Amino acid sequence: MSDILFSSWGGEIIDNRGKDPRDFESVSNVTLPGHFKQDQKIKALFGWYGIVLRSADVNIVDLCREYITEVQAKSCGKCFLCRVGTKVMADTLTRICEGKGSSADLSILSRLAKSISESSKCNIGQSGPVPVLHAMEYFAEDFAEALSSKGSISAGTYISKLTAPCMDACPIHLDIPKYVECIKEGRFQEALDVIRERLPLPGVVGRVCVRPCEYHCRRTILDEPVSIKYLKRFAADCELAGKKEPEYRVVPSAKKGNVAIVGAGPAGLTCAYHLAQRGHRITIYERLGEPGGMSAIGIPDYRLPRHILRGEAGQIQKMGVTIKYNTTVGKDIMLSRIEEESDAVFLAIGAQSSTMMRVKGEDQGYRGFIPGVKYLQDINEGRDPYPEGKKVVVVGGGNVAIDCVRCSFRVNKSDVNLVYRRTKNEMPADHVEIRDAEEEQVKFHYLTNPTRVLAENGKVVGVECIRMELGEPDDSGRRRPVPIEGSEFIIDCDIVVPAIGQSIDLSLLEGTRGIETTRWGTISVNEVTKQSKLKKFFSGGDCETGPGALITGCAAGLKAAAGIDRMINGQPIELDEDDCFDKFFEAVKVFDPTEKIGLLGGQKSRHLEMLPPEIRKHTFDEVEQGFTAREAMAEADRCLRCYRVATVAV
Amino acid sequence: MSNVTLTIDGIEITVSKDKTILEAAKTAGVRIPTLCFHERMNPIGSCRMCVVEVEGFTQPMAACDTRVQDGISVTTNSGQLFRIRQDSLKLILVNHPLDCPVCDKGGECTLQDLVFEFGIDKVEYHAPKQDRLSEYATSLIRYWPDRCIMCLRCVTACREIKAIGAIDIRGDGYGSQVVSVHPDKCESCGECLMVCPTGALTENLSRYKGRPWISERVMTTCTYCGCGCQLELNVLNNSVIGVTTRDDAGVNRGSLCVKGRFGYEFIGSDERLTKPLIRKNGKFQEAGWDEALALVAGQLSKIKKESGPDAIAALSSARCTNEENYLFQKFIRAVIGTNNVDHCARL
Repeated sequence: MSDILFSSWGGEIIDNRGKDPRDFESVSNVTLPGHFKQDQKIKALFGWYGIVLRSADVNIVDLCREYITEVQAKSCGKCFLCRVGTKVMADTLTRICEGKGSSADLSILSRLAKSISESSKCNIGQSGPVPVLHAMEYFAEDFAEALSSKGSISAGTYISKLTAPCMDACPIHLDIPKYVECIKEGRFQEALDVIRERLPLPGVVGRVCVRPCEYHCRRTILDEPVSIKYLKRFAADCELAGKKEPEYRVVPSAKKGNVAIVGAGPAGLTCAYHLAQRGHRITIYERLGEPGGMSAIGIPDYRLPRHILRGEAGQIQKMGVTIKYNTTVGKDIMLSRIEEESDAVFLAIGAQSSTMMRVKGEDQGYRGFIPGVKYLQDINEGRDPYPEGKKVVVVGGGNVAIDCVRCSFRVNKSDVNLVYRRTKNEMPADHVEIRDAEEEQVKFHYLTNPTRVLAENGKVVGVECIRMELGEPDDSGRRRPVPIEGSEFIIDCDIVVPAIGQSIDLSLLEGTRGIETTRWGTISVNEVTKQSKLKKFFSGGDCETGPGALITGCAAGLKAAAGIDRMINGQPIELDEDDCFDKFFEAVKVFDPTEKIGLLGGQKSRHLEMLPPEIRKHTFDEVEQGFTAREAMAEADRCLRCYRVATVAV
Repeated sequence: MSNVTLTIDGIEITVSKDKTILEAAKTAGVRIPTLCFHERMNPIGSCRMCVVEVEGFTQPMAACDTRVQDGISVTTNSGQLFRIRQDSLKLILVNHPLDCPVCDKGGECTLQDLVFEFGIDKVEYHAPKQDRLSEYATSLIRYWPDRCIMCLRCVTACREIKAIGAIDIRGDGYGSQVVSVHPDKCESCGECLMVCPTGALTENLSRYKGRPWISERVMTTCTYCGCGCQLELNVLNNSVIGVTTRDDAGVNRGSLCVKGRFGYEFIGSDERLTKPLIRKNGKFQEAGWDEALALVAGQLSKIKKESGPDAIAALSSARCTNEENYLFQKFIRAVIGTNNVDHCARL
């Protein structure tokens, strides 16, 4: 049963006021969570698509005042109507709430609200007056009462936040509209500074991010998303081209501690970066002789040149962070010893063990049977994993599988196949990567699953596969592949590379007590604060979530750094307002792909120049050539700057 | 670039598809009001005066930064557009002082013209006076913070045309303002004041010397270096009271450096030499041109005869035009007969 009194979200009016609660019509296009913080019941939402009202004791006029005051505070000042108009609106509403309003004020409000939303330069002005217009239309009697009462309305309790669809979708919440605008205006260094407020690896992420931001880019509704990833890379490349080094400002916390980080991957490096900026002493223990963790092992040089990764890790080392390479925790040094020496420990060990396919022959130690991560690691360290083999079958549909096939040509494998049990549509790998692999003439076998690894004299000679068809959707929403009986066939090959997933090597936890793990073999921590049951230990990245995106690992590093800093300073580790808004926006979607935007589109995304497939498939040189300054500025100009404010009444 | 055909206020027009609606309208002979738009810069989009309607699209769009598309039908005037344009201007007037009688820009102010065009005789919107810094100024450029409408032409020109970026917008919402973010980078080139559509940036030297429309504008070439920038001397009663530029003239297209823009007061200086001087008995004495030239010619001939042409060296000035410099070196080489010739800009 719905408990929403009124909703105008997205212009769809549901008005339950005066009805029996049993007859309440439900609101289908937005979900208003019950609580903001645990003890804060949400009474109403005022936002870019309208009003959602749950409680009758919210004064709509006062909520309008609060909302427009917030919009005004967040206005960038770059267009007249939003900058001055929202100020006039906020002052007018304040006057009304103080009991000093007149009927002329209402016509000022409605006229300005229309002009501002119809013609502001960006979405903050376009969306800001929307709920006020709804309020004036559907709560006219509340306004009339406020004008006639002559007493002041007591102000409610509200919490507001500025967001944007891209920014909300980004796991680390980069201020994307801001840095894109910097690039548009030619302020490239400032763009990089904006990125570095949260993310220390712009060059890396700018090359390999899975870019949730672009999938939530509002421009997609008009034509195509802004190429945000390439713009990020451009900002990082500019600094490199100028041979400049970033300058970091250290703002030390009151108490500084010793922090150990296990794993120099994206999560570990990001955590180190943020803690170093607060003056903590940090030691990272890294199993490999190289920074980057899975991004060093798993991502080939043609996508992420090694010097970029080393360079950005090097900048973090220059901040005073020590990285002990070739040091395996649990073997070279025990976790208990690290625990004794440190005030906090961040476990960011990644997920690097290959998941078993559960087919016959995979556990026989055949030559030519090489797990995906191992295969990539060998190639990335400059070795051909199995020079004798020439025909490769990679099993899986993720980015690791795609990296394995694309790398194969580059170590002179002549026949490269990818076997995936669903269709191209369900493939989790980045569609751009899939296209690139197709262009390089990888043979894709969709709706195919391996059933047996075939070998002669201890060497792989082929893989038996079975045809699949798609059945009913499973938990992930994707249709479950079902084998077609009797459709078995054999692909001749001498290398089989399973790349269907990775699991976490938890052996370093041996000898410690209190760190819980989940039934999926991941480390169990509070999903927001990243703290484990054993207070001193934090964990994040792939070892917390299972194999995920690089940027998600970085986000975990940032969150853990905040938690660790608070712990060292004796502050409680709890959800802050931003964390609560994260959860809130998960329910109230910031991006609505069905939104109608009444603007002219027709400006397609700019893509990077690429080496031709025939050349690139045999080289580890970087395939994508970055934007020129002119291209970057033109691409940044496509941004609609979709900032928007949400105000929650509690 | 391929072409597209669209209609603007019923006029069908074919333009290249990389054009904006504003550019297409200009080609079609349709005037769309603008305030922040400036031909030499990328569209700024701060004023929203150029909003137009496109059939089938609900949101009015800024013509300056919306590209044309094939088959669209654009309307440049309607009740809605008039209201938006009026509101935009009214919101400027919430703060902009009506000190037109003493403003340097009075008479050639875009804001003044637009307020007149849109018949704004009262403003029903009110907001407290803006508390702005007036630090953005140099000894040559004066900033009037109250008059600034924040169209951001100055900021854009400083960044895009001059690639300096000394000024930028800071602060949020109503409190945002144009400030000097890198005062050390400012060279007082005056690009900002040249593009300012109101009297928010004025030249500090020529205040109260004359209204803009009463001076005569004489197009000439800047004498400071060999670039040959074109400028207009603003002349009143046979004295120069200011320098302006035209966006369509010369290699500079409206830009000047600090010297070209502000270094004109020497023209009317009492200390300026207007007659040749000859040193006689250790003292400079005024002489006529014939006497002075005869002396120089005689001395040069004498030195050449006695010591040969290579005893003579010549140095010319960047203050001369290219043509004058050409003639000078020709004279030294062909008439005097030496290659000992150089130019101060090389030193």
